[in-house]
Amino acid sequence: MKFDTIIIGGGLAGYSCGIRLQKAGRKCAVISTGESSLYFSSGTMGLLDAEDPVGELDKLGPEHPYSKIGRERFVEYASQIQPFFSEAGISLEGSPLGCRWRMSPTGNMVRCWMAMEGVTSFGEEKPYLGAKVLIVNFLGFLDFNTAFIAETLERSGSACTVEAVKLEEFERLRHSATEMRSTNIARALDREETITSLINAVKPLAEGYDTVVLPAVFGLSREGTSGKVARGIGVDTVFIGTMPPSVPGIRTQMQLSKSFQALGGRIFQGDTVIAGNWEGETLRSVRTANIDDMDIKADNFVLASGSFFSKGLAATPYAILEPALGLDVDFSGDRNGWYDLKFFNRQNYIGFGVRTGRDFRAFRGGVECSNVYAAGSVLSGANSLAEGCGAGTAVMTALAVADNILKEE
Amino acid sequence: MAKEYDVIIIGGGITGAGTARDCALRGLKVLLIERNDIATGATGRNHGLLHSGARYAVKDGESARECIRENQILRRIARHCVEETDGLFITLPEDDLNYQAEFVKRCGEAGIRAEVMDPKEALRLEPSVNPDIIGAVRVPDGSVDPFRLCSANILDARNHGADILAYHEVTSIIVESGEVKGVKAVDKRSGESLEFRARITVNAAGIWGHHIASLAGVNVSMYPAKGALLVFGHRVNNVVINRCRKASDADILVPGDTVCVIGTTSTKVPFEECDHMSVTPEEVNLLLREGSKLAPCLNDTRILRAYAGVRPLVASDDDPTGRSISRGIVLLDHETRDGLKGFITITGGKLMTYRLMGEWTTDLVCRKLGVRKNCLTALLPLPGSRYKNAEDLAKKTWSRPSYGQKASRGRHGEMAGRIVSENDIDKSIVCECEEVSVAEVRYAIENLDIHNLIDLRRRTRVGMGTCQGELCACRAAGLIAKAGSCAAKAKADTAAFIDERWRGMFPVCWGDTLRENEYAEWVYAGVCGIKYEGEVHQ
Repeated sequence: MKFDTIIIGGGLAGYSCGIRLQKAGRKCAVISTGESSLYFSSGTMGLLDAEDPVGELDKLGPEHPYSKIGRERFVEYASQIQPFFSEAGISLEGSPLGCRWRMSPTGNMVRCWMAMEGVTSFGEEKPYLGAKVLIVNFLGFLDFNTAFIAETLERSGSACTVEAVKLEEFERLRHSATEMRSTNIARALDREETITSLINAVKPLAEGYDTVVLPAVFGLSREGTSGKVARGIGVDTVFIGTMPPSVPGIRTQMQLSKSFQALGGRIFQGDTVIAGNWEGETLRSVRTANIDDMDIKADNFVLASGSFFSKGLAATPYAILEPALGLDVDFSGDRNGWYDLKFFNRQNYIGFGVRTGRDFRAFRGGVECSNVYAAGSVLSGANSLAEGCGAGTAVMTALAVADNILKEE
Repeated sequence: MAKEYDVIIIGGGITGAGTARDCALRGLKVLLIERNDIATGATGRNHGLLHSGARYAVKDGESARECIRENQILRRIARHCVEETDGLFITLPEDDLNYQAEFVKRCGEAGIRAEVMDPKEALRLEPSVNPDIIGAVRVPDGSVDPFRLCSANILDARNHGADILAYHEVTSIIVESGEVKGVKAVDKRSGESLEFRARITVNAAGIWGHHIASLAGVNVSMYPAKGALLVFGHRVNNVVINRCRKASDADILVPGDTVCVIGTTSTKVPFEECDHMSVTPEEVNLLLREGSKLAPCLNDTRILRAYAGVRPLVASDDDPTGRSISRGIVLLDHETRDGLKGFITITGGKLMTYRLMGEWTTDLVCRKLGVRKNCLTALLPLPGSRYKNAEDLAKKTWSRPSYGQKASRGRHGEMAGRIVSENDIDKSIVCECEEVSVAEVRYAIENLDIHNLIDLRRRTRVGMGTCQGELCACRAAGLIAKAGSCAAKAKADTAAFIDERWRGMFPVCWGDTLRENEYAEWVYAGVCGIKYEGEVHQ
């Protein structure tokens, strides 16, 4: 089995890279364990937690992935994001270099760059939703915290009422105490009848209110459901993200893999790379857990396996490793330097990752690999949580790596 | 709330709680005053081991006898707080097997059932134990939930008329004409200063008793001895595993609910450190190294958190230099010792001899007050334990309980029958790791004096299971906010809870623990966008 490029990791970075390469006529494969961090997304993407991201680029230091991409290419890629994802069937709301705001599940306002369909983003940090706001939840759904959201809106001057709606279609869900989760609710809401029931239940309640607030559990299998609900209710409707799992995030993940396959890409689903076969600084092929009798060959490899949670990186008590290919990792030698005692302060370990050169080629044993690249959160140089650049790093480095590969050939 | 009492008890740990219960049962008017939540000192930071006393049999027969007696009493009166797991004392190839014979003999002398087992039998009984064992002795060890035990004692005290004031800190002790008349305290939430008077004041403040005694102008020499422990992500063993040798570090592995705990160490620390305990890398390494000798799979088991507590060790009175330190129960009548009337200190001891400590203290209090009532605490079961046996309890509560209801029955005993679960909302699960329902959380909020998520955690185990509160913190906070506490406060409390949770995890943050914490960071700091500057809870 031979491909032009093998991409290790099926998340935002991996699929973006694969889609870019497939569009340029390359034959690619993605080896994926199945899920990705999109499953616990907020429903929005972050470029950088700053009012003017481009203006902040100089402050990031030379090792940051954005610095390796360079200001010119950064601006160019930013302008390509919306059309790129739109062609893949994913709508994003926002402007290429600006910022918007979203309300979090705990009512905190967080800066964002692009919002997925089904999650509302606001133009200002303290949005005013009118004098009277109706917050609607599904009875028994504990991952949508109406009290916290009401508290934030009340501070902005809105009087909030909370209503819990009980739909026939969810009764089956409620019998098992752990089934009232966002994804199960969303699955039921994918059906026309459930949407109609919901609209019929909420519309009369919404009379006299300026805005209706709903949890962002619409559109698990396709975009458009939240718009239908808003139109049916007939009042301005705002969709706030819930605690994970993320319905817009999962839909985006599914759409990315669908779109990659539609372009001719091949996916090794539910599989992991367990070893690489090297010749000097060149990776010839990889072996996976499921296909243990054959090596998969490629001209180029892209490691987009994610951070610790996705098992792209692993920590022993003394060191940080990259488990799939044994690439060099940048980390601090003293474990005390990995963390801050206060949970909400910057945690250094989140910024650890695979060392790469200017064009995102990875290092192994101190030597730059000739045909192995890295993209996304597996990279070193960015603390995506502290800097608010998770999705931005994923898509920007994915496009940069794809373009670097195409340029090489 | 009255301002005059028969007795004021300072300290809401197990000693204070047990003493309050005993005094209240004998008809005394009691005030229990505690600066934080109940069970936040050593009571909330120990091994959870219901000693059979076997550990002390060779070196301290008196302690051993005390232990086995109290062990048997607690099994009767605190049924819902105790798990009768039994224990093994194992001999490894590097240990001296000859010690076993002496061990068994001394157990017998102390009245502790000690049954020598074939190592193969022991392995069948407890498959996680080190397969290389060359000897095993079975004893009646068990595990105890100290939060539940403390809470039940306080509940009974309250039911018998005691006033319980948590989050009130004693700022001074009122001494008039060489006699202690009461205390001055500050309500930590409102800042209000209050005064309470009583004929007797009892210092049951654990290691902080040293400070309380100094407020009364007397010296009690105490030696803070820190013990570090690790909680593992699942219940590796069903039977307590001990090393059959002279007592040393990290040689007990105790199962409890869904987890197990390895401990412990003993290091002298300065008083200032008692309020900011943290576990060092050396302690973590020692616990893992020694622990894996008891159960080798611990090497690959996820560590949930590391924590440490301080033992209130007391120097014996005739050696003020403190070189002879007693681990036994210490009851000090300051009238005879220091010429200060109306003041008693009860300290030392172990979690599981709390009832005896309470009995001795209450006997002394009653003697001083001229009250002639017998101690009933060994006879009367605690609230939650008032049922004959498990089948009896099963029949009384629900006809076909869900897993969550069975779990809550395990936590609250017959009191679980008070949990109103009328509709599907009530049955919704808040904490999936420990199966805690909305109904149980509401019951706790309404009846068990809860002010924040950490108090809730102590009463219901919300957040004590494998995810350590990650998934349920927000859900529980939503319920607390709805129950009337202000939403802004509940938000701050969620952040404080998550921050406190991290303190227990960072000493062991690698492998799956680090993975899991990265996820927590992305959910709470990322998706929720929480920023938190505040103080960390006790």
